[in-house]
Amino acid sequence: MFVVCCVLPVGYLLTVSLSSVDAFSALLLDARQRQLLYNTALLGTGTALLATVIGAPLGLALARIALPRKAILRLALAAPVLLPPYIVGLAWTYLGSSRGWVATLAGHDLLSAWTYSLPAAIVVLSVVFYPLSMLATEVAMRRIDGRLEEAALVVAPPGRVMSRITLPLAAPGVFAAALVIFVLAVSEFGVPGLLRVRVYTTEVFTAFAALYDFTRAILLAVPLLLLCLIVAAVAAALLGDRLVITRRSAGTRPALFDEWQRPATLGALVVLTVALLLPLAILVSEAMAAQSISAVLAGFGSAIANSLVLAAAGATAVVSVAVWLGYARARTAGRMGQGADILFIVLFAVPSTIVGVGLILLWNRPGPFGAVYGTDIMLLLGYLARFVPVAALALAASARYVPVSHEEAAAVSGAGWLRTMWGIVLPQMRLGLAAAWVVAFVLAFGELGVSILVAPPGEATLPIRIYTIIANTPSSHVAALALLQTAVIFVPLAALGAAMSLREAR
Amino acid sequence: MLAAIGFVACGSPEQSRTATRTVTVYVSTDRVFSEPVLREYERRSGVKVNAVYDTEETKSTGLANRLLAEKARPQADVFWSNEPVRTLVLKSRDVLASYRSPSAEGIPAALLDPDGYWTGFSARIRVIAYNTKTVGAEDAPQSIFDLAEPKWKGQVAIADPRFGSTSFHVAALYALAGDDKMDEFFRRLKANGVRIVEGNSVVRDLVARGEVKTGLTDTDDVNVAIENGQPVGMVLPDREGLGVPVMPNMVSLIAGAPHPEEARKLIDYLLSADVERQLAQSEAVQIPLHAGVPGPKNIPAIETFKPMTLDYAKAASRVDDVTKRLATILGL
Repeated sequence: MFVVCCVLPVGYLLTVSLSSVDAFSALLLDARQRQLLYNTALLGTGTALLATVIGAPLGLALARIALPRKAILRLALAAPVLLPPYIVGLAWTYLGSSRGWVATLAGHDLLSAWTYSLPAAIVVLSVVFYPLSMLATEVAMRRIDGRLEEAALVVAPPGRVMSRITLPLAAPGVFAAALVIFVLAVSEFGVPGLLRVRVYTTEVFTAFAALYDFTRAILLAVPLLLLCLIVAAVAAALLGDRLVITRRSAGTRPALFDEWQRPATLGALVVLTVALLLPLAILVSEAMAAQSISAVLAGFGSAIANSLVLAAAGATAVVSVAVWLGYARARTAGRMGQGADILFIVLFAVPSTIVGVGLILLWNRPGPFGAVYGTDIMLLLGYLARFVPVAALALAASARYVPVSHEEAAAVSGAGWLRTMWGIVLPQMRLGLAAAWVVAFVLAFGELGVSILVAPPGEATLPIRIYTIIANTPSSHVAALALLQTAVIFVPLAALGAAMSLREAR
Repeated sequence: MLAAIGFVACGSPEQSRTATRTVTVYVSTDRVFSEPVLREYERRSGVKVNAVYDTEETKSTGLANRLLAEKARPQADVFWSNEPVRTLVLKSRDVLASYRSPSAEGIPAALLDPDGYWTGFSARIRVIAYNTKTVGAEDAPQSIFDLAEPKWKGQVAIADPRFGSTSFHVAALYALAGDDKMDEFFRRLKANGVRIVEGNSVVRDLVARGEVKTGLTDTDDVNVAIENGQPVGMVLPDREGLGVPVMPNMVSLIAGAPHPEEARKLIDYLLSADVERQLAQSEAVQIPLHAGVPGPKNIPAIETFKPMTLDYAKAASRVDDVTKRLATILGL
């Protein structure tokens, strides 16, 4: 299933394109290509670094400091990852323009020269992706045996315990999150496109959308994938199995650094203001200028329902496939396991348009494949192709926490493999499965690049509906639609998070 | 997983599609303008229209690529494009079939493909938009070449000329004015600090907010601003020189269309005076090409200005080369 859904569409397209000898000339690293490579690497590295600088201390604070209203704070701090990056970019352009909020407050233009730039793209993407680093850091720190830190605190101050015990033990988890953020940043198209930053994704897009040159577009994606391959391989070489596997927790999880409570709370509130409240306030302010919000939102009911159903079905399908891959990865050590990690990471970085065109060429043919083409199942196949690799990586980490001894005990008791999986392994992975489902749901809900190429005629998901309508819409309406997309995804997940937090508190 | 697929498959439109007469149309004309036209056709004909709408050119790779990818087994019956480039690319790649609609009678010959692969209707105009608070009507640029004057330094915005109607406009200018003149113009424009933005709607918004004084965009974009009471005016450029660039919608039959009869009927409808009237009276403010159909408000009638004389095929053939030239000159 993994090969059919994830590897075959991309592999088929690459094989067809690379069969042309002339096409290889596009890969020669001329000055333009070098600039693209430099910009792309800088965007990925800068975003991974900045998102980690913001996210990791927050994760540490959530794991080790008794913050007030921690459950709600965690939920609010994680919320920016639900915002489509393009929408945050849009808010940024409203903020930084020569007539934007900053210029109005300051009385003169401060940011407009910087609004459309590579550093701006790094900031916008970091604001969206830092929650991944935050949550990964918190999970990594919660899995550290608290007794080690308690023992160290007997002879050392908290700062030294943090730098010598806590951070080194949490580092693999933080690093793995940074790697995922790097891949997300270099494969992102919307923000670099909006902010006029020339990277490989925008170049691939131009080859498709301006030149209608499939071969060139696919070849231009090769350096992007090679970049991800190299970064993933270096990470795998440095971290080995710890890329997806951290130590199992034991003992207590004490709040060790409570003396940092005040600065940590302040820092969290600053991040919350900049990353969530400010973009939302800008969009609300912009949307208020719309003469009739109800007219803007008319006719969106079916698209919302369609998107919710498809994203839920897509997330279920993604998790159903990824759980077996994740389990297999968790039980595979050595080079083969590391190779699987690298494959997952590279496949996750494939630009969505390439996945979409690959799916069309693969499935739009006579026979049983053709019967599927033209139905909503194509959207599910798109979600599978794009999101199974990242879900498999997440579930590999979750599967590793199920002790092998439990499976051995079940086998000795006469249980078959399937019964062991169903009765022993999967129940212990339920938290990881739920998290993977939510991540897949969010990603599927906001997916546009593949969906617009394979959605059946007459059908539309919410992002398709929004993006096909904003072409000739005042900016106030665009802001209203952006808020709608955010609300539809945020409200149910916030309710779910609040319910889980309440349950945890009881 | 099977449950997920089964659930989605049960809700798929495929079954319902076979129960009634259907036609599938891929539409790059803005959804807000094209959807009411197609809904009206459904109401009048009883034929279910399955439409796939496009995004703005810079937000997704678009339907032309989908049509190219589906060429071996077409899913669409009709392609309705809001500018000539995509249609002519599809013609050159053998995606389109010939059809001469009886409804095309009365449309000027320059806007009909001699081979019948496309038919033009309801046109837009490329215009210079200006902020009426900061620029008087008499001071506004009258030619696109004025935009490179020092007077407008740092005050001009254009959409990325590699995409959409701007790509058509610049290709047409290169075809008419010649490479040397246009290369020089874009070099001066770059030196003048032109702001190249994501799309024509962004140009309109920048002008409306006063972030730039003027910019190059389309009539429908400007009209949205005018209707919303924003301080935007427009000039039809080059009335006295190269002529005003006119961009018709184009409709084409897809080669190997699954529903060819229904496709021809839909094309006949789209080319009718009724649809031109509807598009003229809507916010699309598109200029009718049939004689006798009243034109839109806010937009001068086509008889009142000199349109750019264009060989659309020649202009479209320059797109690839011009795109690469401008990537270098403008640093895109």
